[in-house]
Amino acid sequence: MKSRVHVILGSLVALAIAAAASGASTPGVTSTEVVIGGTTPLTGSASAYQSVARGAAAYFKYVNSKGGVNKRKIKYIYKDDGYDPARTSEQTRELVQQDKVFAIFNSLGTEQNQATRPYLNAIKVPQLFVASGATTWGTDYKQFPWTIGYQPNYRAEGTIYGRYVAKTSPKARIGVLYQNDDYGKDLLKGLTNGLGSKAKLIVSKQNYDVTDPDVQSQVARLKAARVSTLMLFATPKFAIQTYVYARRLGWRPKVYVNAVSSAANIMGLATNGTNKKQTEGSLSIVFLKDPTDAHWAKDPGIKLYRSIMKRYKGGNPNDVYAVYGMSAAHTFVAALKQAGKNPTRESIMKAALRLNVKNDPFLLPGVTVKTSSTDHFPLDQAKLERYHNGHWVVFGGLFRVR
Amino acid sequence: MGRRALGVGLWLLIAAAALLVYLFAPTFVSDFHSRDLAHAGVFFIAIVGLNLLTGYTGQISLGHGALMAIGGYTTAALVVHEHWRDVWTIPLAGLAAGVVGFLIGLPALRLSGLYLALATFAFAVAMPSLLRKFSGLTGGGQGLRLLESSPEQVTGISGTVTIFGHSMTQNHFLYYLTWAIGLVGFLIMWLIVRGGLGRLFRAVRDSEVAAVSSGVNLARYKTLAFAISGVYAGVAGALLAIQDEIVNPLTFTFLLSILILVGAVVGGLGSLPGMVLGALFVQYLPDLSTRVSSKPGVPDFVYGAAIILVMILLPSGAGGLLRRLAEPLTTRLYTRP
Repeated sequence: MKSRVHVILGSLVALAIAAAASGASTPGVTSTEVVIGGTTPLTGSASAYQSVARGAAAYFKYVNSKGGVNKRKIKYIYKDDGYDPARTSEQTRELVQQDKVFAIFNSLGTEQNQATRPYLNAIKVPQLFVASGATTWGTDYKQFPWTIGYQPNYRAEGTIYGRYVAKTSPKARIGVLYQNDDYGKDLLKGLTNGLGSKAKLIVSKQNYDVTDPDVQSQVARLKAARVSTLMLFATPKFAIQTYVYARRLGWRPKVYVNAVSSAANIMGLATNGTNKKQTEGSLSIVFLKDPTDAHWAKDPGIKLYRSIMKRYKGGNPNDVYAVYGMSAAHTFVAALKQAGKNPTRESIMKAALRLNVKNDPFLLPGVTVKTSSTDHFPLDQAKLERYHNGHWVVFGGLFRVR
Repeated sequence: MGRRALGVGLWLLIAAAALLVYLFAPTFVSDFHSRDLAHAGVFFIAIVGLNLLTGYTGQISLGHGALMAIGGYTTAALVVHEHWRDVWTIPLAGLAAGVVGFLIGLPALRLSGLYLALATFAFAVAMPSLLRKFSGLTGGGQGLRLLESSPEQVTGISGTVTIFGHSMTQNHFLYYLTWAIGLVGFLIMWLIVRGGLGRLFRAVRDSEVAAVSSGVNLARYKTLAFAISGVYAGVAGALLAIQDEIVNPLTFTFLLSILILVGAVVGGLGSLPGMVLGALFVQYLPDLSTRVSSKPGVPDFVYGAAIILVMILLPSGAGGLLRRLAEPLTTRLYTRP
């Protein structure tokens, strides 16, 4: 009896597979809709990043209100992974198998995307514009051709800081606090490269795990090493903690805070938790228009951004992470337009590799989104900025970072 | 004689029904949801194991999540470092967790009741830190990713698995694998608890003094219960690692230990059939409570309220309910006129 049941079961499954194969249509694409999905931390230690997905969702609604792309509305589903890679795997599987998405778009986090990358590449689902600056997204495309990143990569960012320190303060005692994964290690590697012969200026390297509750002891050790220049390669929660613990210890190093934590609202929280002196003079890089920067108050791009945020309930409009999400969504729309009248997973992947977007209204003037078959880094330009009197002030020219 | 035949017939009927449910359950849900069912199977195996310890032997363990971690990491380490085929690591994972279970059982000889619960709780709380500490083996805070390190050893990476000439989706494969192991484990447990060994365990539970004075070696049977229970937890952890294709310290927090205990209590301690319901409860309640409202705090509230409600309405768990429902039948079968 059991074997007969198996035969029936087997033939049912075979039938289902045959039916699915003969359909030959692209999953997630109908004549009226393109369904995409991603994961983001709506809860947990990195929940500040949820604004990225909310900003992107608002932009897709705006595009849909203008008729969508090739008469197709973009449906963007984002799911909470709590910044836990195991849950990212689970949710991504659900997006692909249950929600039948066309592509995974802008899922957030380095480890999180590393956890799903082999799966998505094995079943040939595009993993587009990963919201992480790890270098691997742009360099390992031969092994993972279905994956592409988005923002300037962390190694390049570290290199900028290294070169700048070597040039401006060659006697600094550098301390590094980095997240113990590819994201933190990429930044550290870049910093060392940028310092070049001055790499011995680094007197202390401390790390933490994403799952650690706090970085109190690491901050104390950095202070004990008499660090004068602190490289803060940490996500928002830990970056704010670092400012707070440093203040408690009466320690005020010059801080280089990585771009993933330098949003004006995060710096505002750090300032509120300490005082103005503690955050004054911090440095970072920037490639987006900061909505809190008075310089952009009359800028058409930021005006458009604010109206979309208001109209489609994208959340706090002073959050630069939402600008980031919108820029990523803008790039996805550009790729989708290039992917042809009837986009397939192959055609969108090809389109993502011949982008040349010069008019992204959410990026700093002069920054272009550019890719080719050999260049898998969509964004690779940035400027330095300095925190002064509660605001970021951009200075110097545009760096091309690699 | 006729009565006995009726009893055997009844059991055969139940077994046949269980087999049918097992074979056809995935056809009633979508492919993706058969993965959820597979996940429930992991809970089922761990809960059946805990039930022997807590339900039949009277030893409370709040450390079963940590035993699952031993199993899960054994599987992950063998796949990632040694490139073993994922499914072949399951026996070793069970064995490793069984040994650790035995070791945890040793303090149980001196501790009882709440004190034992606290000791095992400490084990569960310490486990994530231990996993981070030995990062060479465990990958530290980042854990181990099976799919990235040795994709060729992950069964069904291409999406389908062929067994005995039948191809099925990876999700169906995981479902059938997990519940096949679950049903075999259930059968073994059933044989254990209804035989002489089960009687010894129950004697330890009901009164240690009485058990000792009847010549029961307490040390032997307490540690044995911990070891057997550990094997089940280890196998469950291994299956969890295979399903998730990733293990990290967050997978095995003490919350997992609590969940398994909740499952065992809801299922009905000291009853085996209720364990299926306990496993489904633990698997689906979080989802259901998020569906009520996903506003911050609401799911947790609904979750807690549901557990309290079950405990008020069914103090002896789902197993107690089943027993009461079947009472008219079973009393007639088993009592002599």
